[in-house]
Amino acid sequence: MARTATARTLDALIARREATRGLLIAFEGPDGSGKTTQRKLLKKWLESRGDEVVSTRWASSPLVKPLLKVRKKIRALSTEEYSLLHAVDFRHRLETSILPALWAGKTVLADRYLFTALARDAARGLELDWLLHAYSPLLWPDLVIYFAMTPEDSRRRIASTRSPRYYQAGQDVTGIEDPLASYGRFIDRVVTEYENLSLIFKFVTVDAGEAVYRQHTRVRELVAAAEKRPWPAFSMDAVEEWIGKSKPPHA
Amino acid sequence: MDRQIQTAARLIAVDGSRGADLARSADRLAAALRAQGVECVISRWDASGLFGELAQTSDRTSASPRTLSLVYAADLAFRLRWEIRTALGAGTVVIAAPYVETAIAFGAGCGLPEQWLRELLRFAPRPDVQCLARERKRDRGWQPRLDRGYPEYCAALFAPSSPRLVSKRAREGMIGALAAAGGRRGYELSGSGVERAVTAIRRSRPAAASPRPSRPRIARK
Repeated sequence: MARTATARTLDALIARREATRGLLIAFEGPDGSGKTTQRKLLKKWLESRGDEVVSTRWASSPLVKPLLKVRKKIRALSTEEYSLLHAVDFRHRLETSILPALWAGKTVLADRYLFTALARDAARGLELDWLLHAYSPLLWPDLVIYFAMTPEDSRRRIASTRSPRYYQAGQDVTGIEDPLASYGRFIDRVVTEYENLSLIFKFVTVDAGEAVYRQHTRVRELVAAAEKRPWPAFSMDAVEEWIGKSKPPHA
Repeated sequence: MDRQIQTAARLIAVDGSRGADLARSADRLAAALRAQGVECVISRWDASGLFGELAQTSDRTSASPRTLSLVYAADLAFRLRWEIRTALGAGTVVIAAPYVETAIAFGAGCGLPEQWLRELLRFAPRPDVQCLARERKRDRGWQPRLDRGYPEYCAALFAPSSPRLVSKRAREGMIGALAAAGGRRGYELSGSGVERAVTAIRRSRPAAASPRPSRPRIARK
């Protein structure tokens, strides 16, 4: 079907923005893999170069963070509700924080992106197809850095710092009373799902077992060499819908 | 025979474009069923309290139709777990008002792809009987209000940032989509429609004998 004049105007607007829009970099990996440390180091480095950087964290949308926090605390969520509320969080941050920042030319560092939901929820037994559908239309990151570590290492690191929380430990699906034992079982599934996703979505892997400064050097190299994944080819629906909802600045 | 019919579980969906009319139609249907000795319960929207809590956040007006459709799906998952499946398991007739078609019609009226909405909500079992609550005073339109039905709630959130989302076109789109969905297999709950719906409910196959829903879940040990 031929596209309407309005749709063609939108296409042209998005194509023009491609040259000046910011880069979207996602940090993924199991708990304890050092994503947050590396994200903070990269942010400082980028800012020292004069880049404008925005960070966004998982489950941090002001719209649902309070109600999600309470329901997690009282363990009131089923697998579907847990998954859907995280999809709400993601969609809201995408529309109100990530896309506006990218449009304005800022670099966005996502401390976990939708792949976290895909890995965790698939590990909980939900279909990947349905999950991808719930998160669509997808805004593809330009670079996904996956901090790889074995389930045993993740469990060891978590055990040395804190006791995992109920849903983090996957106790809702394993039924194991001991949080750490449950985490050991659950993270095994999560890492398997991450490894599958890594092949499908072409993650760039960094060895989370290496020294922090070595990882940072590698991350810098990856970011310096990163190329934009063209919006018109990969993320048109997500960008168009956002523009349709709220006129972006400098349009 | 009659006794067996009265105790069998059935899922009845009542959908509509105006919260007050939808609630009133569900009440009338429940009263008509009870008058015939059929035990029934009503499952209403926001049983999870998600929308109520969301309305208290400072960022509520930044929610988009897609975001709110996802919240609706989460609320429906809650209702299915705590209200609908529990009551069906106990052999009761459940009137879900609203159910799936209201959310699909409203989302589609706001420009979301219908296929996305249907796939999102496919974890919800198909109702045994589908009913439609038409707006009684269609010329009056909606009052965007947080304390009414799902469409009015969404309209109240969208109004400050995107007035066009509550425009006549979005609302008419919803009414048209509901009428089409109802026309295919539904009963209109106005006039003698309630009696026809009650007869259809009593003649329908019990929920346990209906096809299983397509749940987004795979078996896992």
